[in-house]
Amino acid sequence: MAMQLPLGARKAEPDAPGVRPQIGWSLSPRSDREAGDAIASNFLFHAFPSKVSKASMAWSYSFWLGTVSAALFFLLILSGLPLLFLYVPSVERAYQSVKDIEFVITFGSWIRAVHRIAAHGMVIAVFLHLMRVFLTGAYKNGMGRGQHREWNWVLGVVMLLLTLFLSFTGYLLPWDQLAFWAVTVGTNIASSIPWIGPTVRELLIGGRTIEQATLIRFYVLHVVILPLGLGVLFAYHMWRVRKDGGLARAEQEALLERPRDVAATPTKTYTLLGVARGQAPVIRAQALEAPDTTVNAVPDLVRRAAIATLGTFAIVSILSVFIASPLEEPANPLVTPNPAKAPWYFLWLQEIVTDTTIRIGSFTLNGAFVGGVLLPGLLVGLLTFWPWLDRSSHLATGVWFARVRARQNIVFLLVVLAILILTFIGTAMRGPYWYFYWPWEAWPDIPARI
Amino acid sequence: MSDTAAKAPTDRRDFLLKLGAGAGVAAITAQTAASLRSLVPNVSYDSPTTVKLGPPVDFPDGIKFLPDERLFVFRTGNTFHAVSAVCTHLGCTVRAEALSNAQTETIGGVEVKLTHRFLCPCHGSEYKGDGSNVSGPAPKPLAWYRLTVAPDDGQLVVDLADEVGTDFRLTLG
Repeated sequence: MAMQLPLGARKAEPDAPGVRPQIGWSLSPRSDREAGDAIASNFLFHAFPSKVSKASMAWSYSFWLGTVSAALFFLLILSGLPLLFLYVPSVERAYQSVKDIEFVITFGSWIRAVHRIAAHGMVIAVFLHLMRVFLTGAYKNGMGRGQHREWNWVLGVVMLLLTLFLSFTGYLLPWDQLAFWAVTVGTNIASSIPWIGPTVRELLIGGRTIEQATLIRFYVLHVVILPLGLGVLFAYHMWRVRKDGGLARAEQEALLERPRDVAATPTKTYTLLGVARGQAPVIRAQALEAPDTTVNAVPDLVRRAAIATLGTFAIVSILSVFIASPLEEPANPLVTPNPAKAPWYFLWLQEIVTDTTIRIGSFTLNGAFVGGVLLPGLLVGLLTFWPWLDRSSHLATGVWFARVRARQNIVFLLVVLAILILTFIGTAMRGPYWYFYWPWEAWPDIPARI
Repeated sequence: MSDTAAKAPTDRRDFLLKLGAGAGVAAITAQTAASLRSLVPNVSYDSPTTVKLGPPVDFPDGIKFLPDERLFVFRTGNTFHAVSAVCTHLGCTVRAEALSNAQTETIGGVEVKLTHRFLCPCHGSEYKGDGSNVSGPAPKPLAWYRLTVAPDDGQLVVDLADEVGTDFRLTLG
C-alpha cells in the first residue's frame, strides 16, 4: 500500500511512473528504460538498481536491518569526527580529555553519547541483521547464474567481527578502569593460545605491559584501520547484493510457477544490475519485471532507505540526550575493580571463560583458551561455513522459517538463546568476586582494598 | 628453425616481463614486511623484575600487600615468603580475604598457618592462603617468587622473574 505510485505525474509519462522530469533536472526520461539508465549512471543512485521487487522492500521481510547498520556506521563516522579533534591518545591525558569532552565541551557529552549509543546499537543491529539473514535462508542462491550469496554471508560474518573489534578498541580509549581491565583480560585471552599466544599479546599491546604503546595501537586501529576495512567491506557487501540479484526475497518472484501476463521473453538477461552488464544473473521469470510486483527504485527504494536512515539518526540523537555515557575512575593498574565486568556484548564470553577450565587428572586446560579462543572460534567457523553445510532446496531462499530449514533454524535460535542467557547471567547475576547473586539480591559491602 | 627464431624475442620479452613483475612483487613484499616489522617492539621498557621492597621491619607478622609489585609478602617470625597477586586465569589482581578461623596445613614439609584466602574479582577464581587454586577457572596456583636480602642496605628484594617452589622460605638470622 505504501508502495503506491504518486498519481500526479503519471498522466504525462505513463511509461516512467517513478521518475518525473523536474525543474533543474538536466534530463527528462521518456520511458522506463531511459529512467533506469539515468539512475544507473547517476553517481548518487548507482548503488541502487533501477527497479526493485515490492516483496524485497517490505518492512516485515528484512526489517531494513542492513540499512540501519549502515546508517549507524555512518553516524559513528560523523560523531567520531569531532571526537577526533578533542581526544588525546596519551596515557597521561586520555582520561582528562574524555572528562573534558563529557563535562567541559559544549555538546561534548551529547556527541560522545551519540557515538557510544550508535556503537552499542550497531552491535545489536548487525547481529539482528545476521539473524534475519540466517532465519530467511538469505545466504542461499536461487536460480540466477553467477550468484554467490554465500560469499556475501562470509563478508557479513567478517564485518560482525570487525564491528565487535571496533567496539573493543573503542572502549579502551577513555583509559579508565573498565578500559584497562578489559584490555588486560582481552589480551590475556590472546596470550592463552598455545605457542604463539604470548607473541600475539606482545604485538597487540606493543610490549609486555599495557602502556602508551598499547593505547596508540588501539587508537590507530579504532580510528583508521578498522573503519577503513569495514568501509571497504561494506562497499563490497553492497556490490555483491547487486551482483547476486538483489535481496534473496526476490528469488521467490523468480520462482513463481505461472508466468505473468507481460511481454514475454522466455529467457531474458536480467539487466537491472546495470553496473555489471554481461555478468548479471539470468533469471527465467517475467514476474521480476511485471509492473504489479516491482517498483522503480526512485523514488520508492530511496524513500524507504531515507526513512530507515533518518529514523535511525533521530532515535540515536534523541536517546543520547537522555542517556549519559559512563566514565569510570582513571585506569589504575594496581587495583582491579570488583566485580570487573566487560561491556554487555562480551559478558557471555566472560561467563564462558569462567566456566570452561577443564581438568583431566593433573592436566589443566585454561578456560581462557577454551572459552576465549576455542569455543568462539568454533562458533565463528561454523557460522562462516554454514552456507556450504546447509544443503536445503533453493526453494527455501529468502523465506522466513522455511519448513525444510526448520531444524537448523531451531539449533541456531537455541545457540542465540544460550548467548542471551549467558549475557543476562553476566549482567544481572554476578556480583563481587564473580559470585552468583539473584538479580533481586543485594551485593555485600566489600572494602575496596585490604 | 623459423620456430626458434620466432620464439627467441618472445622469450626475451617474456623474461623481461616476468623480471619486471617479479621485481614489483618483491619490492611490495619487502616494503610491507618492513612496515610490519617496525611494529614489533625491539626494546621493552618494562619495570625491572628485581625490586627492593623495604627493610624487613616494615613487614608485620602475617600478610602485606604491595600493589606496585602485585605481590603478597608473608612473615612468620623471622621467615618470609612472597606470593604473586596475579591471577593465573586472565591476569587480574586477586584480593586477600582474612579467614574467620585460621587453618593449619603442612606445605612443603612445614606447618603453616593459613590466615587468608585469595579471591579474583574478574572470574571468581579462589586460592588458598598458600596460593593453591581451589575453585573457579584458575588453571594453576599463584606463583611464589624468590626473596633475598639486599647486600647493601638489608632491604627485602623480590625477583619477579624467579619462581620458586612452595617450600621456599627466607629466614633472617
